[in-house]
Amino acid sequence: MERDELLAPIVRRIVGVLTIVSLVALVLFGLWGAPTDEVQGDAQRVMYLHVPSAWLAYLAFFITASASALFLWRRTRADVWDRVAGASAELGVMFTGLALVLGSIWGRPVWGFWWAWDARLVSTALLFFLFLGYCALRRIPSSDPVGAAKRNAIAALIAFVDVPIVHFSVEWWRTLHQKATVFNPQLNPEIHGVMALTLWIGTIAFTLLYVYLLDRRYRLAVLEHGRADVELAHAIAERTGVKAGVT
Amino acid sequence: MTQTDATAKARRTRTVAAAVVCGLTVIVGVVLVVVLSQNVVYYRTVSEAVHDRKTQGGDRFRLAGAVVPGSRQPTRNGVNFEVTDGTNTVRVVSQGDPPELFKDSAPVLCEGRWGSGLTFDSDRILIRHGAKYTPPKVDTKHAPKATEGEAAGHAVSTVRAAEPGPERPGPQGQEREL
Repeated sequence: MERDELLAPIVRRIVGVLTIVSLVALVLFGLWGAPTDEVQGDAQRVMYLHVPSAWLAYLAFFITASASALFLWRRTRADVWDRVAGASAELGVMFTGLALVLGSIWGRPVWGFWWAWDARLVSTALLFFLFLGYCALRRIPSSDPVGAAKRNAIAALIAFVDVPIVHFSVEWWRTLHQKATVFNPQLNPEIHGVMALTLWIGTIAFTLLYVYLLDRRYRLAVLEHGRADVELAHAIAERTGVKAGVT
Repeated sequence: MTQTDATAKARRTRTVAAAVVCGLTVIVGVVLVVVLSQNVVYYRTVSEAVHDRKTQGGDRFRLAGAVVPGSRQPTRNGVNFEVTDGTNTVRVVSQGDPPELFKDSAPVLCEGRWGSGLTFDSDRILIRHGAKYTPPKVDTKHAPKATEGEAAGHAVSTVRAAEPGPERPGPQGQEREL
């Protein structure tokens, strides 16, 4: 299976427009629509960005791990999975970074401090660096592209082990970070209606943004690959004196 | 590029990759062992701290409890107050400014060590907020004039009117499905 684009142009345009619309809705609901929290005051509004960022980081790394597994499995092996894994991991690193920074900004007024060395925060920072390392690993040039892609896929699956650790850290260990509000073990969200609605708007907005950026980053990977082929053809042409046909 | 060049390059790449992976593994290992071994027990409850007091000595730890209402007394350098977990209560002598959300009944973590007396000497207070989010309850005392029987009903309708968007069951029902 070889694909130049992930989304059809019309689908991409619709996703792009919906992303902007939902982000505007998120700003309106996040700043004005949702009521002020009883305990934390306006500082709690950071939640509408922090929580979707963290969830999208999980989703992005899940896609990376799934695509890596599909690449490793001989029957489904295709360049498309390798590229999707790489593109999704970069977005996952971005969302993890956002979750860390926004969490820090939320923690300062509420906990009283920017950072705490508790299990949730440390495992999340670890997740950030694990996938940053994965992105660096993908950049190491190799004379054996399939071997390198296999190596990267294994690295992605190893790094993904940290995702459930991050999610359950607040249940397994004592942390300063609060426990899950929505995906708690009882699956009984403890959040007021409009606040929950705003959180879902944020999650939808970030998911659309993720899909749009994934499509764009995939396209960039295809173009990069094409450029490498063109450069190789030129290099051969220079040495042999034969003008290579560029496809 | 000759075959030997390519082989040498591939070997070099593999060496670099192996070095990067080994380096990362060592860093991750050190962080996990050092940081998590100290912080997996991020705090102790008041009862645990009182129980471990003799073995604890002057070592630093975090004490978790709720601020006893009315116990806060500002001092020149900070604040004195009591924390409780419902079973045991400890007097805390704290240096430095407490965080904004430091109030009566606030769930707190106090970093510090047992003092010479029966007090806990702390130099850092963290607020441990919960995972429940809700707007403030409407104060029935300040609700528009109504007879006592109607007051509660009126307050509920004020809450409803103040909330834009769909009714409460909508988004909550949605969450349970997911």
